Amino acid sequence: MITRRELLRGLGVGTAVAPFLGNLPSLAGGAATARQRLVIVFTPDGTVRDNFWPTAAGSFTAPSEDGSGPVALRPILEPLAPFKDRLLTLKGIGNKILGDGDGHMRGIGCLLTGVELFPGNIQGGSDTPAGWSSGPSIDQEIARFLQGRPETATRFGSLEFGVLVPDRADTWTRMVYTGPNKPVAPIDDPYQMFTKLYGRAKNRESLQSVLDELHEDLARVAAALPAEDRRILEDHAGLVRDFERDLARDEEIASHPVPMLEPGVLEQNDRMPAISRMQIELLVAALAADFTRVATLQYTNSVGQPHMKWLGVDEGQHDLSHEPNSNADAQEKLTKINTWYAGEVAHLAAKLAATPEPGGDGSMLDHTTILWTNELGEGNSHTREDIPWVMIGGGLGFRSGRAVEFPSVPHNRFLLSLAHGFGHTGLDRFGNPDFCGDGPLSLG
Amino acid sequence: MVSPKARVLLQILAAAVLSAGVVGADEHPGAAIYREHCLRCHGEQGKGTDEVPAPLVGDRSVDQLAGYVHDTMPEDDPTAVTGEAARLVSEWIHAGFYSALARERNRPARVDLARLTVRQHKNAIADLVAGFRGEQPPVTAERGLRGEYFQGRDFNGQRRVFERIDGTVNFDFGVEGPDPERFEPGRFAIRWHGSVVPTETGVHEFIVRTEHAVRLLVNHPDWDGPPLIDAWVKSGDDTEYRGTIHLLGGRAYPLRLEFSKASQGVDNPVHERPRHASIELLWRPPHGVVETVPERALIPARSPATFVVTSPFPPDDRSIGYERGSTVSKEWLSSVEAAAAETAAWVRSQAGRLAGVKPDAPDRGEQFRVFAAAFAERAFRRPLDPQVRALIVDRPFAETPDVDSALERSVLLTLSSPRFLFREPPASSPEILPWDTAARLAFAVWDSLPDAALRDAAAGGRLSTPDEVAKQVRRMLADRRARGKLREFLLAWLRVEQAPEIAKDPSRYPGISPEVVADLRTSLGFLLDECLAPAEGPADFRRLFQTEEVWLNGRLAPLFGVDLPAEAGFRPVRLDDGARAGVLTHPYMMSVLSYGAATSPIHRGVFLFRGVLGNVLKPPAEAVAPLAPDLHPGLSTRDRVTLQTSPVSCQVCHAAINPLGFALEGFDAVGRRRDTDGSAPVDVSGSYIPREGAAVSFRGARELAAFVASSRDAEEAFLQALFHAEVRQPARAWGGETLENLRQAFVTNGHDIRAAVVDIMKVAAFPPVPSEGEPATPATEERSDDHTP
Repeated sequence: MITRRELLRGLGVGTAVAPFLGNLPSLAGGAATARQRLVIVFTPDGTVRDNFWPTAAGSFTAPSEDGSGPVALRPILEPLAPFKDRLLTLKGIGNKILGDGDGHMRGIGCLLTGVELFPGNIQGGSDTPAGWSSGPSIDQEIARFLQGRPETATRFGSLEFGVLVPDRADTWTRMVYTGPNKPVAPIDDPYQMFTKLYGRAKNRESLQSVLDELHEDLARVAAALPAEDRRILEDHAGLVRDFERDLARDEEIASHPVPMLEPGVLEQNDRMPAISRMQIELLVAALAADFTRVATLQYTNSVGQPHMKWLGVDEGQHDLSHEPNSNADAQEKLTKINTWYAGEVAHLAAKLAATPEPGGDGSMLDHTTILWTNELGEGNSHTREDIPWVMIGGGLGFRSGRAVEFPSVPHNRFLLSLAHGFGHTGLDRFGNPDFCGDGPLSLG
Repeated sequence: MVSPKARVLLQILAAAVLSAGVVGADEHPGAAIYREHCLRCHGEQGKGTDEVPAPLVGDRSVDQLAGYVHDTMPEDDPTAVTGEAARLVSEWIHAGFYSALARERNRPARVDLARLTVRQHKNAIADLVAGFRGEQPPVTAERGLRGEYFQGRDFNGQRRVFERIDGTVNFDFGVEGPDPERFEPGRFAIRWHGSVVPTETGVHEFIVRTEHAVRLLVNHPDWDGPPLIDAWVKSGDDTEYRGTIHLLGGRAYPLRLEFSKASQGVDNPVHERPRHASIELLWRPPHGVVETVPERALIPARSPATFVVTSPFPPDDRSIGYERGSTVSKEWLSSVEAAAAETAAWVRSQAGRLAGVKPDAPDRGEQFRVFAAAFAERAFRRPLDPQVRALIVDRPFAETPDVDSALERSVLLTLSSPRFLFREPPASSPEILPWDTAARLAFAVWDSLPDAALRDAAAGGRLSTPDEVAKQVRRMLADRRARGKLREFLLAWLRVEQAPEIAKDPSRYPGISPEVVADLRTSLGFLLDECLAPAEGPADFRRLFQTEEVWLNGRLAPLFGVDLPAEAGFRPVRLDDGARAGVLTHPYMMSVLSYGAATSPIHRGVFLFRGVLGNVLKPPAEAVAPLAPDLHPGLSTRDRVTLQTSPVSCQVCHAAINPLGFALEGFDAVGRRRDTDGSAPVDVSGSYIPREGAAVSFRGARELAAFVASSRDAEEAFLQALFHAEVRQPARAWGGETLENLRQAFVTNGHDIRAAVVDIMKVAAFPPVPSEGEPATPATEERSDDHTP
């Protein structure tokens, strides 16, 4: 026998969203101002360079000019093969920010902000202690830009998802900043995120579910009352009926499909895969409903230590990432771990690709750029050169289907490219201006 | 132009009840017309006669009724009453018994089914949820927080150096730390914990100032969840952190403050330098100012977290002088449902803790169902009969496969049910009666649900006699919630529960800052607390008028010519050589009952005449702005008020109001003692004519207080207000002699306010049985939207 819970799990957590999308009102503007979205996915502790980076620059789909075949995907990126034509890898872009804080702290704290950390009291594994970032992150800058225009403003502006982010606020656990000293905590509890997205609808639904019983109860209590006292209860019953009518009206207005989550998933290391899928389900639904056009999805934290036992890896990821490259066992396990992350990114891409763009052309993936990144280029050396930047999807005017290599440029310029991709071209510097020298990187 | 203060006065006067008054009750000319032309058919008070049995009631306006009378009445001679006569008789009939308003007024008092008041609703939900998490800590004299001091950067028990009680958290450790002998200056940590006990209800802002890592938790279940203030990361130049939280006054909430003077993150002191370290815990309570959280609001005892509903509610009806739940409205229902949804979601999120069930327990569903039944039973304050249980608990669990959602539904249904929202529906069997008694006591004394002891007493049938009730009420009065309610009652009795704005002319009264005003209110609070819970002896009502002491702190002392250190906390000080008279001369009351630059004998007089002595006032004939002092620079305030209220139309009321207010002219607009008003010596002679007995006269506040403290009028007024505040039903419903009996007992018991509450509840716990001949016919299922029969 299949229990309901197993059935839900089999369906990939929630009900299909796509069939409902036809009901959505088409958005003003149409194709001329086609929606663009950005989803930044963070995974920790650097990658395994040899198993990650394509061996050369060039196209993933066509033979290159020198006659060599299309550039092959290395094992970690293999799950993204179905999206080869919409894949863009950027090598040679580094996080050059110096100052207070250790490599992991600056790795995550300056990753999207491009600016130094404030001096503070958080002592890292090396270097001087630091506090929070001294500027906003690029996702928040873009969200602010979009919220400032009626045609791109959304209910939330941005949503910050997490997967098993430790329950402590410090420099290693925060990537998103609305401004100096203003970190944003990602929501890593899918039920909490559900409440944020659908709380009102949920309350309405719960209230509706008890109204029959409530009427019955009211009638019984009223029956036992003397005539003078019955009036107030009749008034009350009348109000409940009005309330019921209002609820029904609300329901007609709200046409967003509400995803169903598997109940009772605990925030535990071993449930990471389930939580990841639940968050992706909610993320796709939120984008489809146009609750936001900017989102982040943060797996654990900088120095993240998941134990991916479901892959046969018992050790913590951060511990493994400190092993030298000569430790083949560690390299193999880290490759498995990073391939698993790639699989989650691919799952997100697949969900978006399978959902027609509401009120527009093509799929949602055509209008969404997924950017997958990391606080380090490599775990054992803690380098922040060659940060793994992987983009899937379309919409920012970047030419994809290829591996690109840059000669060690600061990542501030790439952050600028993201903003310019959204039409935020008035932004001529972001983060530390010294690293914005030649402006946004050309990716068209 | 009418000044804001004058407008307030006019509103106060306009709000007076009209049923009786000092104004001579000359008969309305319509009465004679009625007797002559209408009485023989319509009977006394329009009650009808054999000839015309239908009572003379309806919904016509005065003009409509006059037109009808003009055209058709009396039936045998429609020309007999026309024009002005028809208008006069209609006016009299309408006001006397015809209109809906008049009928309501003439209705015999009864105990009505009423919804919970907002305060009862919020308290009930708080206690309902908290009841599953342990009891509030007992009331003791202990104040302050427990401070644990640690070597090193965290709270490792191995490195704890000492523990002590700190009255407040406001320390400057300098560069060398709390004790260079025992702590490294660069590395120490302190954890303060206990409970915060606010007196006000509403949004409280907490503030921490420090240069180092700090975390503040207030009202967190098991210290779980994001802190109210999380500044464990010290970053840049920020040294002040804020967080807000909604709290209900009169109960204790867990509080923990963690401080670490050390670097965080990786445990490596290599970059630590001896730096200055200080920390202060402040707050801004509703109606208050930013201040160090005072010692009086902190206790070292632990308390369970309390769920506080944050959904806003429309205010309760106070039109008859006390909050009551006499009407329902759309806004109210929508607040009820928002609060129910908010609570149900919270209960769902905390279900494991509340029900004591582990997340992976195999019988989790069954345990939740048991919990839901207990929850409903406590909310309904009656044992669940099987039908109700089936509806409220079993059906949601049967129909919802996911037990968390089932629990949420059941809680939602419980908190939406009339069994929770209305009190108290008729008991279906005699076994229910003690439960209803328990509910009446809890709502009266605490504005909340019965606790475990009351439920036990009800279940054991130990609430059937006045003595059994008295025993419970005495126990309940020791609870914080009882004190909180009595304190709020006293503030309402003094007409200052809403903290009226006080603004004084800075040229005349320099230094009356918002902080001073907040301190004055705090000082009044001390006086009330002291009367309600003296160190020994009864809570003597007379002490409210007779204490010669005023509570002062370092900030207030200079205003009253008292020498106290600037940082001195509140303490009672005997002022002005015994010239003070409790609340009557308290600087806060004197400030409220004054203008910005001058006293207001009228405000003070109205307060005494109506509020303290319980008389009824009609609104003034027309709106009047007070005379500006500058127009009559030669006149004292007393003379100016006398001049302005000299017309006969004013004197009908002001002859009674002014002489009471004049007796307080020895206290200026901020409540300082004075002998002169301008250049003239103040005249503090005053007088009053009691409802029974001869006129009395007095000179000054002490003589006034001596009179008030032994005045039957004041006793009556106080008992009536206390009864209504506690019971929230008309005292007349228990019989016309109820209040007089209570008053006599009050006098016999040495004017003990707490004993008065016991006596009130001995009566009110057993409401009169509804009059006979009212069979409870079943209510119709559907109600027509049309109100006409």
